[in-house]
Amino acid sequence: MKGQIDKITDSEVLFEQEFKINGGDFINAGESSSKLKNILKEIGINTDIIRRLAIAAYEAEVNVVTYARHGIMRILIYPEKILLTIEDEGPGIGDIDQAMQPGYSTATEEIREMGFGAGMGLPNMKKNADIFNISSIVDKGTKLEITMNLNDKNA
Amino acid sequence: MPEGKLLHSVRVNKDKCIGCGKCMRACPTKAIRVRPQKASINYERCIDCGECLRGCPNDAIEPIITSSADINKFKYQVAIPSPVIYSQFGPQTMPNEILSALKEIGFDYVYDEALICEMQSMVIEEYLDKNKSPRPIISSTCPVVARLIQRLFPCLCELIIPIEPPREIAAKILRKEISEEQNIPEEEIGIIEITPCAAKMVSINQPETMEKSHLDGAIPIKDIYNKVMMILKKEKQTLMLQEQGPISGIGIGWAISGGEIRGLKYHQSASVSGVYDTIKILEEVESGKLKDIEYLECLSCPDGCIGGPLTVESRFIAKSNIIKLSRIYGNKKRVDSNRVKRLYKEDFFSFESEVKPKPFKPLDKDRSQAIKKMNLKQELFEKLPKRDCGICGAPDCATFAEDVAQGKAKLEDCIFIKK
Repeated sequence: MKGQIDKITDSEVLFEQEFKINGGDFINAGESSSKLKNILKEIGINTDIIRRLAIAAYEAEVNVVTYARHGIMRILIYPEKILLTIEDEGPGIGDIDQAMQPGYSTATEEIREMGFGAGMGLPNMKKNADIFNISSIVDKGTKLEITMNLNDKNA
Repeated sequence: MPEGKLLHSVRVNKDKCIGCGKCMRACPTKAIRVRPQKASINYERCIDCGECLRGCPNDAIEPIITSSADINKFKYQVAIPSPVIYSQFGPQTMPNEILSALKEIGFDYVYDEALICEMQSMVIEEYLDKNKSPRPIISSTCPVVARLIQRLFPCLCELIIPIEPPREIAAKILRKEISEEQNIPEEEIGIIEITPCAAKMVSINQPETMEKSHLDGAIPIKDIYNKVMMILKKEKQTLMLQEQGPISGIGIGWAISGGEIRGLKYHQSASVSGVYDTIKILEEVESGKLKDIEYLECLSCPDGCIGGPLTVESRFIAKSNIIKLSRIYGNKKRVDSNRVKRLYKEDFFSFESEVKPKPFKPLDKDRSQAIKKMNLKQELFEKLPKRDCGICGAPDCATFAEDVAQGKAKLEDCIFIKK
């Protein structure tokens, strides 16, 4: 596996929820990130963190819809951080460094016409996350980890 | 202005309320409960959209508005009617006749707000040209939308265009002009908007972006409708002969959804109306989906201000009347664009202060408690029938689960849960 992910944390999980994402379902793309956002608002997470996480989650969700067969978005809230993981079964990414370049995209013309696939998804996620991890196996799938710190100063 | 600070635009008349729950189901922010038998509003969550007012079949939800007694304390009384008023008296009635009829009622001066709307269209264009801030820029016209953003979408506050809406600009210009021309002290001039909007009183009494509103109050179109109609019927001939100043065809269009963006030639823009659709579109903005839209007009009432709860004419007919008037008056510019550019440079149109986020309270002040309550809420929700029948006094099962998690209701209040 490329870009091995660090062992996350041992501290207590306060909240956990999963959302299923269906590949190719552009009609409902964005539903999961929207539900996720509303949960974070009710819990009282700082608005800036919600904004950044919502953008990252939406980009990730659209990626699964666009490229993968299906995926799972999982939110884990710890006392000191929020961890969002998005795991999909799909083609995977051969060259992650290249995929992280702004503007690089493998999207077809059809998908671009729908307003997706501009090549900004992964760079945008990285920009909005406090910590961003990506790992992928070609022909198997991709796993993203987005971490937001909840230290008391800005949370 | 009425004494004391008004917190909100509506109240429940408990004598008229039969507890049917229609207001509760209509409320987009789940601010209403029918517990035990009558509706009550949690003002903490109210955004003054007027959906409850629209939904109530018994007139038990009442708007809180300036009474005529409040206006009479001013020596010189000025009416600024929203362009919506031109849509209320049939397709044969011209704006000038309506302005004249308002003078007959007793206002010392009437002014076509549509002129300022036209001005505002130029100001928006100017702002979009000069500002490269994040997009989409969201209109500041609708006071409900501003509040909705503060409460439900706090991180979008920075997208609201920092330009005061036409009614405020109109009052600001008129107070100065009238005071100078007629030699009347500014504080003796009472400026009232004649409005289709239930939220205006709140925005006048508790302005979000300035120390004090330029307006002194608002009167519902409904409340002057009969008087104006009577004068129009009886004195049509004399009214037609009076001239009340220029009328802006571009500005009249502001009464309906899309009016603000019609003039934006070089900027990709969109218009949305109705509080539920506005919430939907703001969700999309929040996800970063709408970066291609430069300007977003959101109006909380269906079809725009003509759909306001304080109007008389059906909004479909009102819309037809506005479209007709826009055609008659055409796109001829009534406003001096050099003057607008000069005022823009002087920051005449700008907010005094920015719109501040005021998010709804989380489930608990303490985050770990809030998360516990969230877990409890989800657990409770699973036990509920999800029929959203409303018999428990909450609008839907999810909200009921939240009330129970908060200790505000008992699980047994649900008739589907066996005791």
